[in-house]
Amino acid sequence: MMLSPTKLECALDRLLLADANALDSKDMTGWLTNYAEEEQASYYCRAAENTEHNLELGFMFDDCRARLEDRVTYVTEIWAGTFQDYRTRHFVQRVSHRQVDASTAEAMSNFSVFMTPMDTGVTQILAAGRYLDMVRLSGDGRAKFLSRRAELDTSVLPRYLVYPI
Amino acid sequence: MAEASLIWPKNYNEVPKAAFTRKDLYGEEIKRIFHGPEWHPIAHESELPNPGDFKTVRLAGIPLLISRDEAGAVRVFYNACSHRSNQLETAVMGNKTEFECPYHRWLFNAKGDLVGCPNPREFLPGFDKADYPLGQPRFELFYGLIFVTFSAETEPLDQFLGEAGQTLRELMAGDGRLKLLGYQKVRYDSNWKGYNDNDGYHAPLLHAAFKMLNWQGGKGRQYTATKRGHVCFESALSVASGPSVLKDKDLIAFKGQDPSVGSRIVQLFPTFVSTKHLDVINLRFATPVDAETTEVHYAYFAHQDDDADMLRHRLRQSSNLLGPCGLISMEDASIFHRIHIGSHTPGNATFQKGVRDPRRLESEFSQNDESGNLPRWEYYRSVMGFERAEV
Repeated sequence: MMLSPTKLECALDRLLLADANALDSKDMTGWLTNYAEEEQASYYCRAAENTEHNLELGFMFDDCRARLEDRVTYVTEIWAGTFQDYRTRHFVQRVSHRQVDASTAEAMSNFSVFMTPMDTGVTQILAAGRYLDMVRLSGDGRAKFLSRRAELDTSVLPRYLVYPI
Repeated sequence: MAEASLIWPKNYNEVPKAAFTRKDLYGEEIKRIFHGPEWHPIAHESELPNPGDFKTVRLAGIPLLISRDEAGAVRVFYNACSHRSNQLETAVMGNKTEFECPYHRWLFNAKGDLVGCPNPREFLPGFDKADYPLGQPRFELFYGLIFVTFSAETEPLDQFLGEAGQTLRELMAGDGRLKLLGYQKVRYDSNWKGYNDNDGYHAPLLHAAFKMLNWQGGKGRQYTATKRGHVCFESALSVASGPSVLKDKDLIAFKGQDPSVGSRIVQLFPTFVSTKHLDVINLRFATPVDAETTEVHYAYFAHQDDDADMLRHRLRQSSNLLGPCGLISMEDASIFHRIHIGSHTPGNATFQKGVRDPRRLESEFSQNDESGNLPRWEYYRSVMGFERAEV
């Protein structure tokens, strides 16, 4: 069943905002729950410059559900206490979308991410770019990421990344 | 202008923190080191595999254009028109067999020859296009790794590399026949020396990942090569054993053919770091941007003979294992920042581990010794002309 245009937009925006909220709250478990519970659920973060030159390598390359779960472990267990922490604020805006079939939609959204390192307190821009999302729609009108690609216009990051973009 | 001076401690294992923070040293470093008689890796030729491929970079401010001509030859040019020095090519990478300066339409081929310019009859009498090719720095290739130097005095590349050349060759899969997978590019809030002094081997204590993955460092050798103190590590391959907290164990799997090659790290003076770890081949092209900023382009490679499965494995491992977001090295980046902040305090940074005699430099070290950095510091001191204190 195809969703009505309003319901589809509502479902996509709820997901978009839930992801921004989880990331900015450093809630990695919440971040994971925005992804479909399917083996091929994936998250990629890479410079658009790589993509434009057919280079698949990314800053983060989580091409299966197991890697998404490992990403949570990196941040919450393995890296805990080793880095200068920073706050982020994601500003996201859906710019296009279409429903592919009854259970799938794709969407493109712009993002900009502000970063405020805890030690300096000086806010700067971490990255700008766009999300290319493949979204799984469930019968009750809820949406989860089947695949999210954060394509960064920012080909040179101002520092390392701890949290996904 | 008076040359910058800095009194260096008498002990070889002490480095003045001011060396990381004094902005007046920076201009002198650019002149003596980056524009002086040193070789700097700027690309691997596999980054431009096809005729017409090019890449542009800036090294210590100098814009460079690396191109491959129709016949397959790689050349390095200054990325500036030979007329009024307008930046010639603005793309980071691409494919072109001709480069046209938009300012006055001077046209160059991939060999750097000026092949066209409008209205030359209005130019200086006797103007000859042959006198205006693109300028070129000296460059040499080592198993495809492209080095430049801006000094006529620099010794040949093989002498510059010395024994480090052998380790570097092994690191680049033994034959340098690489295939580019992509880049991770970042800027660190760190003086270039803070980056270079800390981007070596220090896994056991900093990297929690090793402990959590039951990953013991392999037994190995650390040595320094040539008067520049290039630091090289050769260690047997070690693979994590025992229970793992990771659900995708391929991240830390070794699928290569030859485990005897193991892990390799080569750090060349002044800023280049390269590593082969498990199936990751990573060349880090670094340049100072200013006294407090270092830009590093982490380039990752596969081997040309890899089959589709191996290529996929290298892509998955390279993206997530090392580098500025990598499982076992993200915290390095934080250390570069913190060293730079902490160095704004009085006194000297002291090296301890592996230092047997603070008045003597050695060239063989244990794998986890931090004293391997000391010959490089001594070379830096001598190049900068800093005197050692008497007591």
